[in-house]
Amino acid sequence: MNHTSDTTSAGNGGNFAPRQAAALLDQTTQQARRKLAPSPPWLLATRAVAVLAALGAIWLSVRGQHPYKGPTGADSPILVAFIVLNFTATVAVRERAMAGVRGRTRLRPAEIAILVVAFAAVPVIMWALAAAGVSFALYPTTVLIVPGLAWAAIMGVREGWRGCSMGLAVAAVGVVGAFAGPAGSWAVAGVGLCAVLLGKAVAVARRQRG
Amino acid sequence: MTDDALDPLIHVPTRLKIVATLAALPDGDTLSFTRLQDMIGLTPGNLIIHLRKLEEADYISSAKTSNGTVSITKVALTGHGRAALGAYTKALRHLLGGL
Repeated sequence: MNHTSDTTSAGNGGNFAPRQAAALLDQTTQQARRKLAPSPPWLLATRAVAVLAALGAIWLSVRGQHPYKGPTGADSPILVAFIVLNFTATVAVRERAMAGVRGRTRLRPAEIAILVVAFAAVPVIMWALAAAGVSFALYPTTVLIVPGLAWAAIMGVREGWRGCSMGLAVAAVGVVGAFAGPAGSWAVAGVGLCAVLLGKAVAVARRQRG
Repeated sequence: MTDDALDPLIHVPTRLKIVATLAALPDGDTLSFTRLQDMIGLTPGNLIIHLRKLEEADYISSAKTSNGTVSITKVALTGHGRAALGAYTKALRHLLGGL
């Protein structure tokens, strides 16, 4: 650490050398970006591995089913544990990073309402598609399409193009899964979401390094 | 180019840390005084002195809000402050490149 203490508590730079200033600026910027990141790269990478493991485990258990019956009773705890852990870790890290931060970064009530409606609409849409006899109605990837598009729309309105791309990528995983068959859609969901999360982790890490 | 090209208001370790920390926030976001203090590791009195100097130059803006029992001071970098940090960074690079 190339830190220079402020001996001139409210005055001028004194003997603050430009090289020291550059080091301090670089160090402070990186630290601040790390501390204020609502989704740090390590969390995104961990979530990527976890989603691949959870959905991959389910794919392994359903791929030999003829005819397809869906996840077994033993798969449910894996899925529930993944969803609970993922949600808890994401919220906890986000709240810690965003402590004291107010403004555009935080979602507005209307945006939260849109996301809640999008997630609530998923089972209704899946039920309607199943009633209409659509083959991919109950695929796990179908769950991703509406929330992905909702997130992309919210981020698009905010001109947050990285978030918008991520939402579109999630929705694209949902669309690709529709062509993968009932068992294959679990693999598509796992690999697709893993790739999206790793991509975001790399983008955030690059941004933090400036 | 000499050290004189560096904005004297920013070219102080503590104020450089304040401005760089606030610049890490996206435009339109504010940071509470207590979180800023926690991130920089200053006493409240010392931080207030530096914030006042930066505010006088319109590099930062601050606003106090109260919900009846607790009052929170929010601090943000202004567009002018962001531009000043950009110019300072540019001058610093130029200076170091010339060394």
